[in-house]
Amino acid sequence: MKRFFGMTAVLVGLVFVLVGLGAVGYLGMGALGRLFGGGAGDSVGTVLGAALSNIVVITLGLVMTAAALLTVAERKWSALLQNRIGANRIKVFGRFSLGGIPYVLADALKMLTKERVEPTGNTRFIYQLAPVLAFAPVFALVAVVPIGPPIAASSIPLLTGAKELAFQIADPDVGLLFIFAFASLAVYGTALAGWASNNKMALLGGVRASSQMISYEVSLGLGLVGCMIAYETLGLQGIVAAQRPGLLGPIPALGILLQPIGFLVFFTSAFAETKRAPFDLPEGESEIVGYFVEYSGMKFGLMFLSEFVEIVVLSGIVTAVFLGGWHFYFYESWLAQHHPFWFAAIGAGAFLVKMIVLMWLQLVIRWLLPRFRYDQVQKLCWKILLPTALANVFVTGAAVLLDPSLRLLAWIGLAEIVVIGVVTAAAGRAGTAEGHSGATHAEPVSGH
Amino acid sequence: MPYKLQPAATGLRESMYFPEVLRGIGTVARHFFRNLFFSRDKNPDILARPRDGFGTSDNVTIQYPEERQPYPPGYRGLHRLVPRADGKPRCVACYMCATICPAQCIYIEAGEYEDDPIEKYPVKFVIDELRCIVCGFCVEACPKDAIRMDTGEHTPPSYERSEQIWDEKRLLRGPPVSYHYDPWLRRASTLSPEDVEKARAIARPFPSMATDEASQTPGFSVRALAAEAKARGEGGAA
Repeated sequence: MKRFFGMTAVLVGLVFVLVGLGAVGYLGMGALGRLFGGGAGDSVGTVLGAALSNIVVITLGLVMTAAALLTVAERKWSALLQNRIGANRIKVFGRFSLGGIPYVLADALKMLTKERVEPTGNTRFIYQLAPVLAFAPVFALVAVVPIGPPIAASSIPLLTGAKELAFQIADPDVGLLFIFAFASLAVYGTALAGWASNNKMALLGGVRASSQMISYEVSLGLGLVGCMIAYETLGLQGIVAAQRPGLLGPIPALGILLQPIGFLVFFTSAFAETKRAPFDLPEGESEIVGYFVEYSGMKFGLMFLSEFVEIVVLSGIVTAVFLGGWHFYFYESWLAQHHPFWFAAIGAGAFLVKMIVLMWLQLVIRWLLPRFRYDQVQKLCWKILLPTALANVFVTGAAVLLDPSLRLLAWIGLAEIVVIGVVTAAAGRAGTAEGHSGATHAEPVSGH
Repeated sequence: MPYKLQPAATGLRESMYFPEVLRGIGTVARHFFRNLFFSRDKNPDILARPRDGFGTSDNVTIQYPEERQPYPPGYRGLHRLVPRADGKPRCVACYMCATICPAQCIYIEAGEYEDDPIEKYPVKFVIDELRCIVCGFCVEACPKDAIRMDTGEHTPPSYERSEQIWDEKRLLRGPPVSYHYDPWLRRASTLSPEDVEKARAIARPFPSMATDEASQTPGFSVRALAAEAKARGEGGAA
């Protein structure tokens, strides 16, 4: 019971820390804006300072921290769901293992001090460039993730003016297209790494990566077309704002409500884009080791970290498009009117909480499912996800044409959720919830 | 496809794949949250731990160096030379153990007590634990119950081979044992008369069979042994 209350306290504390992080983001905007432009929200200097603060806080403070912590979380969470304990041998002052978090430092130290081994006959320039090419595009995706709502500069301490500033690096009108463009750039890093290594296994991994990622680009894009139709914008801040409360009585216009099929398609494709199990054929450590087999030290670390950054970024995008982004829906309008700063901070905190839930979900799925066979990967993409996404686009378009207020679409979405829930809960060959945890689940599923 | 790899999915739900994944997430998440929110039971008897109830973790790990399961009583651990009540070894340097040892890892040099014309004692008693095959024949062969393997310890690891050569100074340890027939209980010794009386009081009749009775017990049960260990105050708390 001690652990129960302790864990509850830790989780509640985490929520407060995340809200605090949101507040820090807006305070940083205020401070740097003041430093650069003297405080008036409309001046170029203030906007520049705010943007600089956002870049630093979001990339370094949020994404890199989250990615580093995810490397530990992967070990600890997988241990928890496999009834193990997980990494706990590093103890601060010989007593406190702190949930394995000191392993971040140990890993970094190990990666940085390892010998740099290079294969003979590699294409040196491309070999050195590949980890950067794998990492940079993924990292660039962070730019459009709308973590906090836009609020008037005057409600941020140290600033004045009516210009709206958001806890987001950039909000281009082409937000979703930006995501597709940069997500498809990531394939160059893996393909070139595999090709430049002068290693057959690495080449196989690179080829697998490029074919898999290019295939899933298609359904990745089509999964979001439904949302573009429904919300009539490509900008992520606009999409989040469109998920307003009160569509069907108390139910908000959440993306996952309007587009459950789109959510499944996009989430699956995004999973394939991260190249992690069950889509980890490019890596395939038990068969070909993968496109980074010839990389050592921090060059491998960069490839490894880019997977985790990708998890963070995709969680952010799914949160923004499907889970209502920074909307927290309780006393929202009242708070936005009376305490806009705290509205923004709590909104950013809510966004981060949703993001953490999605990251958890991605790790759980990674440890739940075995690797697909290669034909299954391509079948899942071309024969299941793509037709489903296309049908979803047509249904969404028709529903929005018939009823622009989105109510019809919401009812269709609710019906889809109910069908999925009933099929999931229905007793099948696997038996009841008690009986199916055993051998039946170890059986691989074929046919996809 | 040269041969059928897997059984085909039966039923609509398994063909749709996603519902099965959702159910899998449910199963795994149940484990996750139970292990996250509830502390691990540290009872060394894993089978006696509560399972599948609310408020229990599914974790069965024993954190080895910090937590240990008790060994069964028949466990043949590190040797010891059994002391008498006055601290000298029970061993009379008869060479039985050295003779029967199939690994030839016991070396004995016999000597005589100046004040005792009857019994010998080992001036040197050396066991090479690296050669020992832990068969327990020495314990069986000993006519005086002077060598035992009841310490319940492994041979501790070392960085030097020489540290694995155990001499009589390191081997002579553990609780003293006395039997009714022991000669030094019946004649004058270095012990005071009161101590001799005490030693006589705890003396036991010599066992008719093998020295370690518990190792002969049929129906060995981890659960019973763990309960005994707990009663003795061992292994329960980490």
